[in-house]
Amino acid sequence: MIKPAHIKDAFHAAVPIMLGYVAIGIPCGILCNSIGLNALQVFLFSALFYSGAGQFMIPNMYLAGSPLASIIASVSFVNTRQMLYSASFAPECQGVSKRLAFFFAATVTDESYGVSTAKFKEGGWSVDRALFVNLFSQSSWTLSNVVGALVGDALGIPLNIAAFAMTSIFICLMVTQKMTSANIIAIVLTVIGVYVCKLVGLTGPAILIGAIIGVAGAMLYSSLRERKAEGPKPHVGNGAAEETCEEGDRL
Amino acid sequence: MSWTEFWIVLVCCAITMLACRVLPLFILKGKELPPAMERALSFIPPAAFAALVANDLLAPGMFDAGLWPAAIPFIAGLAVVLVALRTKSLLWSAVTGVVAYALLLLI
Repeated sequence: MIKPAHIKDAFHAAVPIMLGYVAIGIPCGILCNSIGLNALQVFLFSALFYSGAGQFMIPNMYLAGSPLASIIASVSFVNTRQMLYSASFAPECQGVSKRLAFFFAATVTDESYGVSTAKFKEGGWSVDRALFVNLFSQSSWTLSNVVGALVGDALGIPLNIAAFAMTSIFICLMVTQKMTSANIIAIVLTVIGVYVCKLVGLTGPAILIGAIIGVAGAMLYSSLRERKAEGPKPHVGNGAAEETCEEGDRL
Repeated sequence: MSWTEFWIVLVCCAITMLACRVLPLFILKGKELPPAMERALSFIPPAAFAALVANDLLAPGMFDAGLWPAAIPFIAGLAVVLVALRTKSLLWSAVTGVVAYALLLLI
């Protein structure tokens, strides 16, 4: 059953995302229009694919002359981070209907993931509310993209400035994480990992590989600390620290 | 981009996206998570957002055009950090970032 009060809760939680999506959706539509996509095509992308980073990447790579296979592989690679979000919602989706869980999972984005995670942690939240946060966000994203495609470049917004809205949202989501020592290690290792990936030419999978390095490093750190709390020999700690470096290189 | 190219890109990207969004949730659903996995999941948010920020701000050739053009996104990013920590608001962070970035480009 859909409760109006839940829809209202969801709308309040979704407003910041919706406004952010207006700011980045219009330039994204303009960019898509610049490679010859019309409003209907932009609508289909937003409704069926629904990925801010992906919908920016496609016209950017197409303009740069990348072959279709390379565009698809890179976009899909970058979007594998969604697997991490999906896995993290598994506990919340226990006991809800398959259909609700499916539609909720199918409409999660970076931003709505951040909002829903925070709301579930606060308590008093539910998957149906979270689904409506996603749907409100997607509506705003889709409308803004279509508007962008219709007005084309008549607005004259520089794309790099508008795209910084997306970067700012990611910065906010990052710095409002709980700053435990393990989380800080995850962040620092991830940043280094992303930069090194780009340095060696792995630009497409940089986000995924960087994040995996960060998570692996934080896991090793926290298990080392647990072992230290139990009073291990110092040699064990040193050996494991060396393993961390090796694993970082391998990844 | 032609309609044929459009359909190829849309269908391929939409299918991989849907699989990434839905499969992990349904594979894990109803099962007890091992403690190690639960801990790994808790490290995913800081790592994923750090990766997205780093991907936007860092690039190997970023100092090629000089120190100032490379510094602009970092200064604007710093302003976003301050506003984000104070307000915890996505909207204010986005507004601050865009305004700071545009003003710094004008200087």
